[in-house]
Amino acid sequence: MKIVFKFIVLILPLSLIFTFYFLLTNNESYPGADYDVFDIPKFELGSLNNDKTLNESSLDKDFILNVWASWCITCRVEHPYLMSLSKKGIPVVGLNYKDEKEDGLEWIERYGNPYKTILYDYKGTLAMDLGVTGAPETFLIIDGKIVVRYQGEVNELIWNDVFLPVIESKDIF
Amino acid sequence: MIVEVSHFLSLLATGLFFLVGSFALLTKPSAYISNLITRTYSHGFLFLIASFSIYVWLAITDNFSVQYIASHSNSQLPTFYKISSIWSAHEGSMFLWIVFLSLWGFIFNITIKNEQILKSNTIGIISLILVGFLLFLLITSNPFQTILPIAPLNGADINPVLQDPALAIHPPTLYLGYVGFVIPFACALSFLINGDPGIKWESLIQKWSVAAWIFLTIGITLGSWWAYYELGWGGYWFWDPVENVALMPWLAATAFIHSLSVSIKSSNLRIWTILLSISVFSLSLFGAFIVRSGIIDSVHSFANDPERGLYLLAFIGIIIVSSMSLFVAKLSIIKPSKTIKRFSKESFISINNIFFGALIFSVMLGVTYPLIYEFLFDQKISVGAPFYNAIFIPMVILACIFMFFSIDSKWSRSLNFHFFIAPISLSVISSIITTLLISYIFDTSNLAILISLFAGFIVVYRYVIEIMNSFFMKKYLNPFSAIAHFALGLLIISISFNSLLSSERALNIKINEFEEYKDLKIFFKDIKVLKNSNHDSIEATFVLENQKGRTFDLSPEKRRYFTRGQITTETAIFIMPLKDIYMTIGDQLDDGSWIVNIQINYLIRWIWFSAGLMAFAGMVLMFSKRNI
Repeated sequence: MKIVFKFIVLILPLSLIFTFYFLLTNNESYPGADYDVFDIPKFELGSLNNDKTLNESSLDKDFILNVWASWCITCRVEHPYLMSLSKKGIPVVGLNYKDEKEDGLEWIERYGNPYKTILYDYKGTLAMDLGVTGAPETFLIIDGKIVVRYQGEVNELIWNDVFLPVIESKDIF
Repeated sequence: MIVEVSHFLSLLATGLFFLVGSFALLTKPSAYISNLITRTYSHGFLFLIASFSIYVWLAITDNFSVQYIASHSNSQLPTFYKISSIWSAHEGSMFLWIVFLSLWGFIFNITIKNEQILKSNTIGIISLILVGFLLFLLITSNPFQTILPIAPLNGADINPVLQDPALAIHPPTLYLGYVGFVIPFACALSFLINGDPGIKWESLIQKWSVAAWIFLTIGITLGSWWAYYELGWGGYWFWDPVENVALMPWLAATAFIHSLSVSIKSSNLRIWTILLSISVFSLSLFGAFIVRSGIIDSVHSFANDPERGLYLLAFIGIIIVSSMSLFVAKLSIIKPSKTIKRFSKESFISINNIFFGALIFSVMLGVTYPLIYEFLFDQKISVGAPFYNAIFIPMVILACIFMFFSIDSKWSRSLNFHFFIAPISLSVISSIITTLLISYIFDTSNLAILISLFAGFIVVYRYVIEIMNSFFMKKYLNPFSAIAHFALGLLIISISFNSLLSSERALNIKINEFEEYKDLKIFFKDIKVLKNSNHDSIEATFVLENQKGRTFDLSPEKRRYFTRGQITTETAIFIMPLKDIYMTIGDQLDDGSWIVNIQINYLIRWIWFSAGLMAFAGMVLMFSKRNI
């Protein structure tokens, strides 16, 4: 009886700890990551750095969409990594979110522009359709369909664990 | 520059705590060593508190070269929120958590004068735990990180839902409760390490445990209140995973305090007491892990980084497994002095321990099961109120009935039923009458609620009789136990009434139109768009009239904060003694009408009052001279 008691007392916490170890090391345990597939919503928005009007068909088939704003501190932390992605030749489209135009432009000028195109979404309408809850948020779009979304800062770890497996399996970029 | 000083002081504290830990556990105990340990620990604490004070000062003076402060505070905020912004996210709140942990150790260190060996080991264990958490803080979540060369001018902003007085004090209170249980935990371990069954560690830590329990109770109550009026959740408890991880240590702590009193009085249940003291702190650590590893999505979850989760899991795992192994290895030294008599107070409390253990196990299952299920089958499921109700209602009712009979039980003596037949039958009969009356007046036959009400009333009536007896017949009454258990009865009654009578409805209403809900006439008077310094808001005004012709205004709001684009709901609540009328405003529909949610919440304030009364009972014990 005493042996059984000792056994239970040790096994119970151990099994819990191992369960959580498996849950944590599982790739899908990034709570910011979401792999539901859906179409890019229809939109018509201006561009931040020129006078073009853009809609869903004026973008590439495969690209990264990054929601950012000049007021967002995390975006600034994330920025150097986006620069390195665009240097590697990965097409990154920016979605400037609820920002003043001058602030956004100044930001780009000061820190550099990793974006091929920057959509200017002052009212947050496209962001609303995308279900954006805050900046930064990053989407992987393949064939006009959103296949990965990630809420929060994208860095090397997140890129390798969340985005890269999907990109490699579809053999793009 | 100043931030580096603060950083350095924290590093220094870590080093000193490491020294204390290794001295205490590796050297032979002597008067010299224990003196050294006491002093070194105090110095380590001094460095840590200095480091934290500098950090608070940096936050007050808007030093945005510190990345954490820049991302969570803003120069426009009032000083109060500049300070509370420190614990509004992961790094800073972890810092506060550690400071509190060391604070408990410090107070223990300077107040305990005898039991030198037990004390040295206890301080050593606390120090090692501190070292682990400080390393976690400094390595994986450094709050002292700077952004150089250019600091942002105004900072970002504290999450708007956290700009609230209740929330500014909810986390610190809760943390004080969580980490306070390090004292009984460390004492239990050093008792086991020491291996001398004669040491009376239980009576040493009773007040410490009650103090931590008070903080935990108040912290949970404040959180419940905050979710009700600030988050717009509209209820008092949601079985949210993070609420549950706070509830588990509370349940364990409550069982622990009961079990502790038996161990002090009659040296029984000593194994239970040790096991519970380890469990309470382990569950507190588990809570910290759940919230900070990002394994669960919730309002409470902080920034997510799996690396942090792994570090925490590893460290917490070491603490729990080593303490449990120690417990198993030294099981033989904890000999209960005698067997427990049937129907004695000890027997009732051991039944109580079993009930609490079962409740903790069920909550643990409810928290972990969805995670495991999602891992195995890649589907999200949620375990919610139906599961918990199905377990808690019958168990709490049964526990109440046992508790009811335990009131007349005596230490180490069997219960003599004949002697107490009058108060027992009196309270049972009046509870049956009350419950039947309620069933008739409110026209309900919901058995779960009626039995819960009955269970609540027998406890309340029984204690009313006891209190009368102690006043008029000078019969002895344990005031802490009486107040706390009376509060429990009141809590059960309030919760039962709340779920019996409360109701809510979503209305579509246009401006200048009337709607009716229950006995209320609602008139949509006005809607305004307001611009404030850091947010836009839509404020609707409703005029409500009840049957007695009494009118009052309610103005729920919806806000959009500029810096984060976050949308929050500001509830409007009209408070009456027995019920709250609670309104939130939703979206505007295409036909111009607005979605408005109205709730009538009965006795919700009584729920918090009862919880507060329990905490008050604990305070009475804290300030009493007697040991219970």
